[in-house]
Amino acid sequence: MTVDNLINWFPFGAEWPVITFVTAVLICAIPVFLFIAVYALVAIYGELKISSFMQDKVGPMGQGVGLHAGKWGLLQPVADALKLILKEDIIPESADKKLFILAPFVVFVGAFITFAALPFSQEIIVADMNIGVFYILAVSSLGVIGIILAGWSSNNKWSLYGAMRSAAQIISYEIPAGLSIIPIVMLTGTLSMQGIIVSQQGIIWGFLPNWIIFNNPFTFIAFFIFFISGVAECNRTPFDIPEAESELVAGAFTEYSGMRYAFFFLSEYANMFVVSGVAVAAFLGGWNSPIPGFMDSPSWGLFWFIGKSMSLIFLMIWFRWTFPRLRVDQLMSVCWKVLLPISFVNIFGVGIWNLLVG
Amino acid sequence: MGVVHGDLMTLNIGPQHPSTHGVLRLKVKTDGEIVSEVEPYIGYLHRCFEKHCENVTYDQVIPYTDRCDYIASMNNNFGYAVAVEELMKIKVPERVEYIRVIVAELNRIASHLLALGTYGLDVGAFTPFLYMFRDRERILDIFEALCGARLLYNYIWVGGVSHDFPNEFVETVYSFLDYFEPKIKEYNELLTYNKIFIERTADVGVMPPEVAISYGVSGPNLRGSGVKWDIRKNETYSIYEKFDFDIPVGSGIMGTVGDCWDRYYVRMQEMVQSAKIVRQALKTIPAGNVHQALPKKIRPPKGFIYKRTESPRGDLAYYIVSDGSPIPFRLKMRSPAFTALSVLGEISQGWMMSDVIAILGSLDIVLGEIDR
Amino acid sequence: MSEDQDKYIAEVVEKALRGDMDAINNIEDRVTRSKAKAALIKAKRLSKTAAAEAAPAEETAQTDTTPTEKSLNQKVAEALAKKFSGSIDSEDVNEYIQLNGKNWFEIAQYLKDNPDLLFDSLQCITGFDFGEGEALEVRYNLHSMTHYHAIEIRIKTDRNDPKVPSVEQVWRIGDWFERETYDMYGIVFEGHHNMTRILCPEDWEGWPLRKDYETQETYHGIIVPKVKEGWE
Repeated sequence: MTVDNLINWFPFGAEWPVITFVTAVLICAIPVFLFIAVYALVAIYGELKISSFMQDKVGPMGQGVGLHAGKWGLLQPVADALKLILKEDIIPESADKKLFILAPFVVFVGAFITFAALPFSQEIIVADMNIGVFYILAVSSLGVIGIILAGWSSNNKWSLYGAMRSAAQIISYEIPAGLSIIPIVMLTGTLSMQGIIVSQQGIIWGFLPNWIIFNNPFTFIAFFIFFISGVAECNRTPFDIPEAESELVAGAFTEYSGMRYAFFFLSEYANMFVVSGVAVAAFLGGWNSPIPGFMDSPSWGLFWFIGKSMSLIFLMIWFRWTFPRLRVDQLMSVCWKVLLPISFVNIFGVGIWNLLVG
Repeated sequence: MGVVHGDLMTLNIGPQHPSTHGVLRLKVKTDGEIVSEVEPYIGYLHRCFEKHCENVTYDQVIPYTDRCDYIASMNNNFGYAVAVEELMKIKVPERVEYIRVIVAELNRIASHLLALGTYGLDVGAFTPFLYMFRDRERILDIFEALCGARLLYNYIWVGGVSHDFPNEFVETVYSFLDYFEPKIKEYNELLTYNKIFIERTADVGVMPPEVAISYGVSGPNLRGSGVKWDIRKNETYSIYEKFDFDIPVGSGIMGTVGDCWDRYYVRMQEMVQSAKIVRQALKTIPAGNVHQALPKKIRPPKGFIYKRTESPRGDLAYYIVSDGSPIPFRLKMRSPAFTALSVLGEISQGWMMSDVIAILGSLDIVLGEIDR
Repeated sequence: MSEDQDKYIAEVVEKALRGDMDAINNIEDRVTRSKAKAALIKAKRLSKTAAAEAAPAEETAQTDTTPTEKSLNQKVAEALAKKFSGSIDSEDVNEYIQLNGKNWFEIAQYLKDNPDLLFDSLQCITGFDFGEGEALEVRYNLHSMTHYHAIEIRIKTDRNDPKVPSVEQVWRIGDWFERETYDMYGIVFEGHHNMTRILCPEDWEGWPLRKDYETQETYHGIIVPKVKEGWE
């Protein structure tokens, strides 16, 4: 239910427009926040278990419901969340207090407001803007400000290092990400998320779903460019220099503890979902089912969207536990010397392909 | 490089840090990300091992030697026992020699597994660390069956060893070797030939052979720079001349000779060679008594000795001066990691912060040995 | 010249008998190499058991060549006596060479650069205390990575004002080894660029490895525990 639908549904919408608008927004924001919280718990559990199996361990285990971590350790993320909430809140004495407290909120807000344009299903989207993709790309850079605030206000050379590296990384990788979305816009002719997904319905060549990734070889490459840039934007390995444990302890977030640290953690997972969500919507058909006609109704759309996003998140987790990390200058050179030229070639390629073939 | 130079920033990689392999303090002067000077500060783990040795008898020194290089305790004991035996001019039974070589080489494998695993961790690869530790656990289980301890063995005594093999020990070691040798391929696929790992370590921290020799570096660090020097072959002790094994030397396959990747690869190959030695030793080990040559009271004649042995970190040497009493007059342990750490300042100039961590990891230091 | 050549051949044959063929194979001059190989075969034929019983290499520099040969120590002692007169303290050079600290830096340069000796690796610097009230000593173990021979050099110094020239510029590892000897014995190495303690804290009092060392009572307010005197 979009905000617009809610506003229309309100009986007194015409008389008190401001209050109606604010109430509608709040009513839509709460499910999103709950979704992020639940998804974060699932993602944390998934990361623990998947990483454990990949590393020949067993991960969190329990002997039964109610006994320390529940059967298969299902209560572990809950225990983690509780622990972070109940921890002592330490602010270093020489830190800049106002900025220190402000930083987690800025980062979280940057991740949270992008959820407003994610198309969960045909009908479930908070704000169906006709510039959806543009809005997401623009707003997702807000998180950088929060990271710099965190690094600076900690009054700690290591945090500063981490914040600077992180800022440089995120800003640089915005560009290939944005450039990889441009072929999509060229093909579908619209910036609206729902519009892009609707244009991917149907089948081509008899059995392949009409997803943009299968449309032409340049969009195939654009998907990988976008995904790699997305992994870099979330500060995940192999691009996790800002939080490189072995070098900078926790980078920009070294001095944070308790609930503030939980916010950073939460926003990292939220970012992962946003990146996967946009990749799914733009390249992999969004809430369309791969076999049209089968499980096609609006409520199944939610299942498909979240299912596809979660598989991309699984891929991100897999990357983290397999690859070593790149050094800062190698990271930058990958972005500027490799991904950027390929994105330019993609744009030209899609245009020419469209002229000649499509 | 650039033309704008601000002040140098002094950064402290403090005694408590996830990747300094112990309590080590590095004072780093950087210009942005480029490091211009690295100064190590040691002494946080100094327990005055040499002073202790001047107050206890010769065989009571052995647990102290364990604790110097706690990752390769068998080799520490081995070096000391060989030195004292040469000072006293006694010969140990054949079986004891074979047992010593077997446990020393198994400990070499365990030590290299730890070095390579933690090196992967420093560079960001979390999974090979756990795989290598899983295999190291099997070696520690073997040692626990042998002498009861997992890490500090107190096993090789002057004149013999403390316990003989338990039942089915030889079969256990054979099954471990059969399990272990295919694992090297797995590690190579996962880490050694991984493109990102090669980018992080090849051409980084190049140590020319002259610098290495002048700084007294030895062991895999020296062999990584192309110098073919191994005390087991060049100044052989115990029964190493009976076994057939190679000395892997770095040859700049992925970058320059003497870079971090070469040192890593030399250690990887050495594990294969150690497994070869253990197999040969197990095949021809004779029966015998392990306590026969153990003298009741160890009273070496007056004199001195400087004996070098090959520990996993390099050239471990003991300088022992005896004045005829049962207590050593002077015992100095020359540890290979001490010299390896001293070269860090020289080879990490001009590299970036992350490279300093990578170079430190490739030198494979153990603070217990440096500080004694 | 052929006497030197014979000595050189004898050395590489010794090494080869111990199992290291690289020394012979690396000889560039074809004539010398073939002479060395012939001498090796002869030596193997003559004394098989003697070769098998050759002791593992000793760093004490004891000679095991044939009696008519001069040992390494004697060669070095003669060369030093010729070039730097008055620096050798004792006539007995069987196991080590005792120098008296004069010109030690130049001697070290000479030992490193002379092409016959080429001691390019300083293995270990050990401090030594003869007892309470007696002299201190510094012992250097040198080794050559090209000729595979080793030697020990000792320099005695006075207990109340111990000073020895530093060899940090000759072998770079001398830097840390000398700091350690200073830390433990109080021997000051002149010419060292940073003569500070390395293992003990900077403001520790006393020289721990000396025989008459008494631990200080407190360190920054913490009581220092005493070392047990003996275990018998």
